[in-house]
Amino acid sequence: MRKALFCCLAGETMIKISKQELLKLPSLLSAMGYRVIAPIRAGGVVKLAPLGPDDQPEVEYIRVINSPKKFLLPDDESLFRYRSTATITSYGLKIRFPTAEGPCPVTILPEYLPIRERLAFFGIHQCMVSSVRYLDRVMLSDPADPYYKNRREGMFIAELDCDEGDEYCMCRTLGTYKIPAGYADIQMRKSGSGYLVNAASEAGKELLSRLKKQDAQGEYPKPVPKMVNDFELVARDEQEIDAKGAPKSLEACTLCAACTVTCPTCYCMDIEDKFSLVDPSNVSRMRTRMSCQRKCYSAIAGGTAFLHAKEERFKWRVKHKFPFSINAFKLVGCTGCGNCVAYCPAGVDFREFVGRRVA
Amino acid sequence: MMAKAVAGDANPYIPKPVTIIAVKNESLETKTLRLKLYNWRLSFVPGQFVQLLLPGVGEAPFCIASSQSDQKHIDLTIIRRGILTTSVHYLRPGDAVGIRGPLGKPFPLDAFVGKDLLIVATGIGIAALKSLIIYAIENRKKFNDVTLLYGARFLEDIVYRDELKEWEKSINVVITLSKAPPEWRGLRGRVTDHLDSLRLGKGTAAAVCGSPAVMSSIADALMKHGISSNDIYVSLERHMKCGIGKCARCLIPGGKHVCIDGPVFRVADISIGAIGE
Repeated sequence: MRKALFCCLAGETMIKISKQELLKLPSLLSAMGYRVIAPIRAGGVVKLAPLGPDDQPEVEYIRVINSPKKFLLPDDESLFRYRSTATITSYGLKIRFPTAEGPCPVTILPEYLPIRERLAFFGIHQCMVSSVRYLDRVMLSDPADPYYKNRREGMFIAELDCDEGDEYCMCRTLGTYKIPAGYADIQMRKSGSGYLVNAASEAGKELLSRLKKQDAQGEYPKPVPKMVNDFELVARDEQEIDAKGAPKSLEACTLCAACTVTCPTCYCMDIEDKFSLVDPSNVSRMRTRMSCQRKCYSAIAGGTAFLHAKEERFKWRVKHKFPFSINAFKLVGCTGCGNCVAYCPAGVDFREFVGRRVA
Repeated sequence: MMAKAVAGDANPYIPKPVTIIAVKNESLETKTLRLKLYNWRLSFVPGQFVQLLLPGVGEAPFCIASSQSDQKHIDLTIIRRGILTTSVHYLRPGDAVGIRGPLGKPFPLDAFVGKDLLIVATGIGIAALKSLIIYAIENRKKFNDVTLLYGARFLEDIVYRDELKEWEKSINVVITLSKAPPEWRGLRGRVTDHLDSLRLGKGTAAAVCGSPAVMSSIADALMKHGISSNDIYVSLERHMKCGIGKCARCLIPGGKHVCIDGPVFRVADISIGAIGE
């Protein structure tokens, strides 16, 4: 009785539905005006993609190759466009704003499309929800990134509990299997032949009110993750990471940057001007993905670079996830999703580096 | 149909147009651009920087190298090094470019008051310290001794020749060349070779800017001369893209962003290894 009262106070409603009903949720979400992003099985992998009317979302999977980052911070996006006068000279393309005589003409008229659509992520696991929390911490800290903020506002998260990881997962060690408060509108969980669904926000309750359902009793169960390989963290300080030798598997690293591409929290970006030679006066200020595994990440004018060897770059990424993020954002940057280990063609395993295997 | 989603002021990525009104050759490779701001003022504190946008080329950070009392113009001194800075050297008076700023944390001017101020610049690092030098001269009474220790490689590399003559009237200016020609009558060697001749100690605060390779050795030498790491400030350079702590390109050890936590750092707050290459 007291538990039921507590549930009411917490504003949560829990229901039990069949898998068939569960798979209706994406179309209900799009009826509510969301652009639904869900895991889809294609080409041997599961990836998050916008759900078309004929697509079937995948609800029994362990890992997705991409992450909400792809939609919240796209691989490339135009921050704004502007027009300028361009001339082609002997040393290449020369672009400048119109020459000003007298008062400065208003020449930067940045134009960009407002993002009106609201995103809904359906069926993402706890590690990916935690990655949204980390991106929030980075992008919404003062001054907030207006593009990220725009996409993040009114976003819906339908989280699907994952209890059993594969051999690359590490969420138990990092505690990211717990959903941070306010980060899931609904939580879903396989229970017997059906699914338990818990609404944790007003938008979540509104969605569940549209379902054929059966109220469930009791409290929504807490996930207890079962790891194939269990680790405990031993090196998360900068000094500890610096003092350690590189893992042996790093010898095979080709600096392909697959780790940073598949990582749900690697947010490093490049900003550059792009234009077509056909219409060079129409310039786009593009924000594109950057990786600390590349030399140009740390190179400054004149060619001085701060990260040379691949060992330094590997350690830099680990440091960015652990000590740097703890210092700057008070949050660990690794969600333990294991993507950088699972999709590394060289088999580099950072878990052996920061952690110790426990039985 | 494109439309304005956020007003330009609210979007920190959007630069404001400025016009180049003068270009001064400082040395073979260095130019100072004088930029005029229209209808807006830029109030900054020495040590802060702006992101200079060259349309179609890109953006790069430059420390403001002019007096903070002039809010309608700013000077940027730029050495030809990379793609953007090479393009800068083709700019002429009348060209319009964009700037974003002021960005970053400045020198803590109040912490310098009543102390001996030692400004150590090597190479083009003097551009990042020029606004501080001007501030020290304009507010000369706030400080005890003010010394500019300026090291360059060749005689031709010395910039701000007119200003240096002017500054000598009110502050102590020491210039040293590491590869001096035979006719050079001034000091020879690196800046660290000449710290002994200066009166340094507990009452001294130091501001340092130079290439990453020498800055850590300068900071080391200053500490050996009795200046506390709490009183040594360095202005760092990193590859910056956003300038507001979102792109993580300017992270330094310790998890600090050069763009929002710097570019001016107290040596005590960062590891000495973070300064160097």
